[in-house]
Amino acid sequence: MVNDRNRDIGEYIEAEDDDMIICRCEEVTKGEIRRAVHAGMYTLTDIRRFLRTGMGLCQGQTCAKLVKGIVARELGVSPSELEPATARAPMRPIEMKVMADDLGEVE
Amino acid sequence: MFPEKEITVKIHDKVYHYKGDSIIIATGASENMVTFKGWTLPGVIGAGAAQTMMNLHGVMPGKKVLMLGSGNVGLVVSYQLLQAGCEVVAIADAAPRIGGYGVHASKVARCGVPFYMSHTIVEAEGEDHVTGVTIGEVGPDWKVVPGTEKHFDVDTICLAVGLSPMSQLANMAGCEMEDNPKKAGFVPVVDEYGETSVPGIFAAGDVSGIEEASSAMIEGRIAGVAAAYRLGFMDKEELETKTEELEKALSGLRQGMFAPENRGKKIETTEEGCKISETLLKKGFVAEEEMERFPGVTRAKGIHPVMECTQNIPCNPCQDACPKKCIKIGEKITSLPAVDESAECIGCGLCVAACSGQAIFLVNDDYEEGYATVTIPYEFLPLPAKGDKGSAYNRAGEKVCEAEVIEVRTSPAFDKTNLLTMKVPADMSMKARFYKAEV
Repeated sequence: MVNDRNRDIGEYIEAEDDDMIICRCEEVTKGEIRRAVHAGMYTLTDIRRFLRTGMGLCQGQTCAKLVKGIVARELGVSPSELEPATARAPMRPIEMKVMADDLGEVE
Repeated sequence: MFPEKEITVKIHDKVYHYKGDSIIIATGASENMVTFKGWTLPGVIGAGAAQTMMNLHGVMPGKKVLMLGSGNVGLVVSYQLLQAGCEVVAIADAAPRIGGYGVHASKVARCGVPFYMSHTIVEAEGEDHVTGVTIGEVGPDWKVVPGTEKHFDVDTICLAVGLSPMSQLANMAGCEMEDNPKKAGFVPVVDEYGETSVPGIFAAGDVSGIEEASSAMIEGRIAGVAAAYRLGFMDKEELETKTEELEKALSGLRQGMFAPENRGKKIETTEEGCKISETLLKKGFVAEEEMERFPGVTRAKGIHPVMECTQNIPCNPCQDACPKKCIKIGEKITSLPAVDESAECIGCGLCVAACSGQAIFLVNDDYEEGYATVTIPYEFLPLPAKGDKGSAYNRAGEKVCEAEVIEVRTSPAFDKTNLLTMKVPADMSMKARFYKAEV
């Protein structure tokens, strides 16, 4: 199991590019993501809840694949083995006042 | 998208709820990004963003651009950047061979854009916006080999490094999903009609696997027909006749060297047994000595088409464009075009304009003593005029000789492509392939 937290993934070793921004909307760096994995966040949903990656304006359109790659590498698995983070409405950023104007009727 | 096929849609400032008996998801794909030092600087943009800026908003993305990625998106957007008046300083790609169609690569190569294969971006330079870029050659471990770095002054870096299906809606709707590298990502599992595991929900186009635009359009039609059948608007027989035709067209598009099953494979020869041009895969143009091995390239008396089409791609408008039936491709859409020597070319130029790969030229070696003419597709502004004197460039984008414009033809039948005929010295007829106004 990819997210078996008893699995030993080795020590977190600092890398030269750890300060590189990966999620630009929420300003999350590569190092923060790597450290989160070593702190036990083995799924993309965990990472997202913990760091807010992919929860900004672009809704992960830019960084989802990058974050997936970093987490997979840290876990020593292929990116395709990782379950993508949950997809949920709204699909695109939407203003709260529009949300509140939900007509509620089904056509 | 919610259970029971309920969707909420934002229209202007209100949220509306709909329930569909059939829903077709056609959300397409989003651009992939790559990270390097400085990748978040203003000036680093997706190729799709550059295209939207130019084609939709009429804004130049920058003055000097480096393109990362040599797939069809990278090649076509580079060409459009040139048309918009930008300078494309180079196209770099970490892969050893150009990923897109050779004809698209040749369009930019003859404009003088150099290709750097097995190269990637080391760093985007600049304080608060891009002012330069350093690329370097990648070794077998995909790391940059020290000492191979090259610098370019640019204000824009375009990334064309692939697309990922935007399949979140299908995922949300509870469709069975798979992570399939052949489809370039996380996609809903669909049947031959594009129907997902949730009856009545269809997926068509890039959302169910990255392909070319023409395949996406056919997939959309198939899903549309199947949805109409499901809703009782047509009977089974009509469904089958309609989809059979579309499936046939779709499978035609999925053949040839760039077929999904050939992704990543190195193909050495064409279906006709011609050796693929190595120069084309590395530098973006077919070298002169490699050119005559292809069936479209023949010499003849008087005006005749020269079709520099050297890869098996699903494309055949040239065959139908010729009113004299000079060009034969045959039943198989991926076959290379050949000249039918029994038919006579009248120099109408319809084939030149019809070739979206801009690979067809009209050559007349018998124009006048010591001179030949070459007719090229020309899609740049300002449009040269008859009598203009400039220079002819070869396939590599090098200036080879002086050239005089003897005719510029524009016609609704040419669909916005202009045909420029230039007079060049006789020995240049198989070299001159582009015209620039500067002498």
